[in-house]
Amino acid sequence: MSLCVLVIEDDREIRSLLQSSLSVEGFDVRTAVSLSEAAAMLRSSTPDLVLLDLGLPDGDGSDLVREIRRKDALPILIVTARHQEAEKVKLLDAGADDYLTKPFSVGELLARIRVALRHRGTALAPSEKLYVHDDLRVDLEARSVISRGQAVHLTPTEYKLLSRLARSAGRVVTHRQLLADVWGPEFTEHTHYLRLYAAQLRAKIEPEPAEPRHLLTETGVGYRLAVD
Amino acid sequence: MSNHSDLPVVLLEPTAARPHRDALVALALLAGATVVNLLLDRHTTLMSEAMVYVLAVVLASYAISRLAAVVAALGAVLGLNFFFIEPRYTLEIDAQENATALLAMLGVALVISHLAAVSRRETESARLNERRARHLQELAMELANSSVPSDVHVLAQRALGRAFSGPCAVALTGQDNELRLGDDQQDIRDGMHACIRETAVLGPGTGRWPGLNAWYLPLKSERHIGGAACIRNVNARDVGGLEHAQAICALVGQALWRMKLSTSVHAAEEQAQWHKAQNTFLAAISHDFRTPLGSIMAAASALDMQRHKLPEPEQQRLLESIVGEAGHLATLTENTLQLVRLENAGELALDWQSVEEMVGAVLARVRARDVNRRIRSVVPPKLPLVKGDPVLLAQLLENLLDNALKYSADIIELAVSADSDHIILAVDDRGDGIASGEELAIFEPFRRSDRSGKRGTGLGLAVCRAIARAHGGELTRVARDGGGSSFVLRLPVEQLQPVPEPA
Repeated sequence: MSLCVLVIEDDREIRSLLQSSLSVEGFDVRTAVSLSEAAAMLRSSTPDLVLLDLGLPDGDGSDLVREIRRKDALPILIVTARHQEAEKVKLLDAGADDYLTKPFSVGELLARIRVALRHRGTALAPSEKLYVHDDLRVDLEARSVISRGQAVHLTPTEYKLLSRLARSAGRVVTHRQLLADVWGPEFTEHTHYLRLYAAQLRAKIEPEPAEPRHLLTETGVGYRLAVD
Repeated sequence: MSNHSDLPVVLLEPTAARPHRDALVALALLAGATVVNLLLDRHTTLMSEAMVYVLAVVLASYAISRLAAVVAALGAVLGLNFFFIEPRYTLEIDAQENATALLAMLGVALVISHLAAVSRRETESARLNERRARHLQELAMELANSSVPSDVHVLAQRALGRAFSGPCAVALTGQDNELRLGDDQQDIRDGMHACIRETAVLGPGTGRWPGLNAWYLPLKSERHIGGAACIRNVNARDVGGLEHAQAICALVGQALWRMKLSTSVHAAEEQAQWHKAQNTFLAAISHDFRTPLGSIMAAASALDMQRHKLPEPEQQRLLESIVGEAGHLATLTENTLQLVRLENAGELALDWQSVEEMVGAVLARVRARDVNRRIRSVVPPKLPLVKGDPVLLAQLLENLLDNALKYSADIIELAVSADSDHIILAVDDRGDGIASGEELAIFEPFRRSDRSGKRGTGLGLAVCRAIARAHGGELTRVARDGGGSSFVLRLPVEQLQPVPEPA
């Protein structure tokens, strides 16, 4: 049985384009033009993935994201234009999984959907035990980090940061989420911790820290560990 | 008023009544006259002694109030009678001629003291008028030099405070035509509103609301009322004071009217300029948007109509053209929006950013368009953090690198360095450089030069400079030795860097 994607998008052209691109890839695509229509559809059946456009006429979508999260762990991808950083981060913090910035190519969309589906059902339990990307290997069970064949010694905070990202490998983790999970909820405004620790971490795990390949910066949003 | 308490206070009111001082002065002069007469008693006549007393009364009349002078005249007559007219040391008068002399002396003393008082008052009032005139002149000059209503407010407060002893208050009307009154001025609010409503002075001696103990004066010019003033503890008979207060308020009212006029002229000029800029902007924008749109239309309609007749590679070329032109349109839209947003934005939400991280993130995106890896970056470790908007700074850097990729075919260097209070990012290319005379135009919206015949994004550098300035930094272009351009971004570094983590 094919996977079902719910596309919530008010622009007719983009909606039909997404529908055809995803149908070609074998998805069962349903569409909604507003948050209220989407909410009604979600009450009758649960899709495998939600593609939510930012800036719908009837709200910013954070209520919908929260409502979905109360019941399901299904992946939610946000589609945004640039200049919507604040709204984007708000939805990610509310529980959305990842985002795509318009204009995007079909290739990018499919890659993000693949990552999101791989993590399906993992939001509650850290089932990701091993992260391997190029020459970097993070084993969350053995608590070991190996880069270019060498064991890397990380401070406890560096390891906490890396393992938090590894558990969501391929997905963006917002500054707020990282600060809350690694340092504690009272530190969610201390983004400079992240700047400093990300730099330390890159110095240890990146061959070229100034052009990182593993620990990627999502400008204005958070960080992401790269996956193939 | 407290901020002007260090200024010398020059009261421009008539001399106030001072009965104790007057009594002392009169007593001292009479006592002096008596002593002189006692010392000279053997050598002089009663006539001379009377003259000495008259002299004392004349002197007293210059220094003391009129009533006190009359009392002093009576005192002089009593003194002469008591000390020098037989029988001495009684108030009895033995001879008829002495009584006549005393009466004559009393008459002379009274007349002279009256004349002295009149002449003194005239002198005083002339001096007071002169001081007031000078004071008004000073105020007029100070008002002419002031340019904002708050300065006028301070000057008006000070002028009234110097001229009157009672508490004075000045309140200006704001944009909303409401009086700006402090919380401690609520008790005079009604009076101020009333004098503005009636456009007339209220209070003692004005014929309006004479029961008040304060004058309320509108700060009016011919066609405008800019506020009101209140002077407390005033006297209905102080006609000169009221005139002076009105003169001060008229000067202040005129100054406020002048400011209101110049503000509205300025606003009108600004609006006209804005409209002009807007039109230029729209014209340029539609031109720059039409070009890629035209290419997209042409390619897409060709595919639509002639797909079956076109060979496969030609179809592919048209498709790539659509994607490429659409990408260009996207960048252009991005920059246009950013420029508008930056112009309308108030304060940016700034947070700590790592320049190294920013460069890494931008390079990750730009490398997609830099397949030959022409960009070489040099980023030293352990740079200080900067306060900035990450999305804007990334866009700035991306625009600079895209420009360099577009206008030069050689290696492009991105060098980051730091001095004591700035982080400096330089993007160096070996392109054709900028034609002379175009050096400043490249930073203006839509004023691009046709460098190398290649099309720019039109807005790129204007956006970059606007972003740099919004961060308190600056973006400049320097011609490089040996050809090419160096675009240098300087961002301020805060001396107070955040601490990594609490111990």
